[in-house]
Amino acid sequence: MKGLFSWLENRTGIGALAKEALFERVPGGARWRYVWGSTLTFAIMVQFITGVFLWMAYSPSASTAWESVYYIQNELTFGWILRGIHHWTAQIMVVLLVLHLVQVVIDSAYRAPREFNFWFGVILLFITLATSLTGYLLPWDQKGFWATKVATNLAGVVPIIGDDLQRVVIGGADYGHHTLTRFFALHAGILPAALIALIGVHIYLFRRHGITEAKPATRVGALYYWYLLAVGSAGLAVVAYLFKDSNPPWVLWVPSLLAAGVLVRIVFLHLHGKDDNSARRPKRDGMFWPDQIFRDAIVCFAVLGAVLFFVFWKGTELTSPADPSQPYNAARPDWYFMPLFLMLKFEPFQGEFGLVLGAIIVPGVLSSMLFMMPLIGLKKVGHWVNVVLLYVLIGGFVVLTVMAFKKDSSDPAYIADVTKAHEQAERVNELIEFNDGIPPEGALSLLYSDPLTQGPRLFATNCSTCHAYGYDDDGNALDGANKKLIDKQSAPDLKGVGSREWISKVLTVDHYQSSKFFGNTNFKKGKMLEFLVDTELEEEDVTGLAAALSSEAKLKSQSDIDNNDTKLIANGFEWMGEDELACVDCHKIKGEGGKKGPDLTAYMSRQWLVDFIGNSSHERFYGDDNDRMPNFLDAVSAEGEIKQGKLDQKSVELIVDWLRGEYADK
Amino acid sequence: MNKSLPSEPIEPDDPERRQFLEKTVSIVLGGAMVSVPVGAGIATLLAPLSSDKGGSLKIRLASIEDLPSDGTPKLYQIVAEKKDAWTKYPNKPIGSVFLRRIGESKVVAFSSSCPHAGCSVDIDSDGSAFFCPCHASSFDFDGITQGKSVSPRGLDALEVDPDLLVKGEVWVTFVKFKAGVADKVEV
Ligand code: FES
Repeated sequence: MKGLFSWLENRTGIGALAKEALFERVPGGARWRYVWGSTLTFAIMVQFITGVFLWMAYSPSASTAWESVYYIQNELTFGWILRGIHHWTAQIMVVLLVLHLVQVVIDSAYRAPREFNFWFGVILLFITLATSLTGYLLPWDQKGFWATKVATNLAGVVPIIGDDLQRVVIGGADYGHHTLTRFFALHAGILPAALIALIGVHIYLFRRHGITEAKPATRVGALYYWYLLAVGSAGLAVVAYLFKDSNPPWVLWVPSLLAAGVLVRIVFLHLHGKDDNSARRPKRDGMFWPDQIFRDAIVCFAVLGAVLFFVFWKGTELTSPADPSQPYNAARPDWYFMPLFLMLKFEPFQGEFGLVLGAIIVPGVLSSMLFMMPLIGLKKVGHWVNVVLLYVLIGGFVVLTVMAFKKDSSDPAYIADVTKAHEQAERVNELIEFNDGIPPEGALSLLYSDPLTQGPRLFATNCSTCHAYGYDDDGNALDGANKKLIDKQSAPDLKGVGSREWISKVLTVDHYQSSKFFGNTNFKKGKMLEFLVDTELEEEDVTGLAAALSSEAKLKSQSDIDNNDTKLIANGFEWMGEDELACVDCHKIKGEGGKKGPDLTAYMSRQWLVDFIGNSSHERFYGDDNDRMPNFLDAVSAEGEIKQGKLDQKSVELIVDWLRGEYADK
Repeated sequence: MNKSLPSEPIEPDDPERRQFLEKTVSIVLGGAMVSVPVGAGIATLLAPLSSDKGGSLKIRLASIEDLPSDGTPKLYQIVAEKKDAWTKYPNKPIGSVFLRRIGESKVVAFSSSCPHAGCSVDIDSDGSAFFCPCHASSFDFDGITQGKSVSPRGLDALEVDPDLLVKGEVWVTFVKFKAGVADKVEV
């Protein structure tokens, strides 16, 4: 063993290197407050490890990115944990970065000769943010897609080169395969390589100049950290209080208790005139290994614990696949970009120049101020300017972030959008399970051929100018997509079309002539109404007729009762032929009968409805009696001219399938 | 000087013992910390080991009249639904099979994948044998290696459903076998 080691040592010098790395003197002894750099190194290491494994399963293209992430998240063994760790470590890393920066500034560790190290640190901060930003797009889900679109549009407002810059960044005029390949190369190649190189320099410079010994040997100095901790935990408690409705109670109690505990400690320290360890301990130097590493290890472990806690508590979101034709207004950037996001909504940042001001000038000035800190901090006053500046920045950041989230959580439109997005995400998962896989064209195609998703949209845009789809609690007609009709309802309510219930209502005089059915059409004065008034159908008749007619629709939801009520249905058909009712005088039923009214053969079946919507002026249906119902598919009029339809076959089928409840269902 | 500093340095305990404790804790925690992301990663990396085998697929390829009565083999593509990680291909060629009719009512089927290293086996230029161009293996029409073939075994025969064959339909159970070994092992 020893022989092997010296063999290796002679050839590589690895032992000397390890000694050099580990046996570094820590002047003034190891301290808890020196851990932040190590936690960041640890976090980055976690990101590299999980990132490489994710890389092995990820596929960057517009038709596979979401799909591969779906696979990682839902099917790959432990994939959800892997992705969860990567996602949540990225979030926590931002917090660690801020803590590291605060520690450096309050210890004025940027002073000569350490300026360069500070500047490298600031650059590292920006590279980390860029890595997060590029990573946000990679799942190619609605959230990442639309949020990143905002970010790249902001690149477009850069004066002069903006348009070209934007084109280069997204790899074309529009988002697509090359946006993903570029972002992926940045996220997994260029930026991490830059990160490693700069961290190398950062750590080299840090070792060259040694640790900046924390000064607070005085009581006030030592208490400083306790006060910081008190402010921090109290701040957390306040934030938790503001959002207490959307979180379980412990989210409020934990930081509150922490703040209380810290306060008690501060009072205790004041009363007893004792300082915390840092001042009490003799200023004997410590060693990096094991004194400091021990503390680093404990805090890193806590960081990992926090990451895992979030992975299990919150999970890792994957919204539905990116759909360039469905803007997702509730798309938000990652939380640490929210202040910028909110800021752009403010008055001074409106208009073209406002955007340049908010998106480029203000962030530019703020980051230059960060860069200037070592120069400002040359004098003692300068140092305090820096500290105050930093606290103001952090305070502003926190306040803006809280405001942004508060604003969203009280905006009904935002909440509705998010709910819809969640439903859609769930629906995609359902469809994938139902289909036992994703078609080669990608998951979006599942949504586009899903009647439950497309039906309401198509109905709302094409049918709801006249038709209603059910009513809300106050009796307002709805448009299929759960919004109120813009115009007055002028044609029948189509919710439950073809069902026994729906047909029974049609056969009652009151409903027939009400505005919920034909009240606002020419059929209000038609022969059918005359018939209904004259014959005064008994309830029993209505039940039988409705059962018979409805059985022609072959609705999935009625297959049981259709099969059971054979007698009732047979009777219904019989009555239609009998002299008393004589439906067959006007209507064709089961292929036989008159031609004056619509053909009721296979009434409300899939094909009947498609044909009807396609061209209700066809002589099989209303013929010349048609009121305002347009032909939705291409049709030839009686005079032989071709009338173009408003929709294509597939869309009509989607509407019909949705109306008939014919879609993948659990 | 700070008054509250005690006059003599406090040594709470033996520094050796404290250091030993610190070292142990650091190493244990460090190991645990690294093993979480690495463990999750390795689990995903090794996931293919626990996924299902390719499985077999029974498929109708031809009716018996489609096959030449002189016993010349004919190549058929196997087109089937195929799942590749997340994607489900409705119709994807997954392999091909030689069918050969012997006499009136017998049909044999061979996988066209070479048992040597998986190249695609062809019929040689004079139409008298199967031939794999990759490393020049030759098989007679009964699938048996001939000449100086490197292939460790003959062509893999596939099962033809006898009951359906009686009705004139050729149904073959398509399976894949491990290449490069003497025994016919399903994969
Ligand atoms: S693969 Fe066929 S001979 Fe080598």
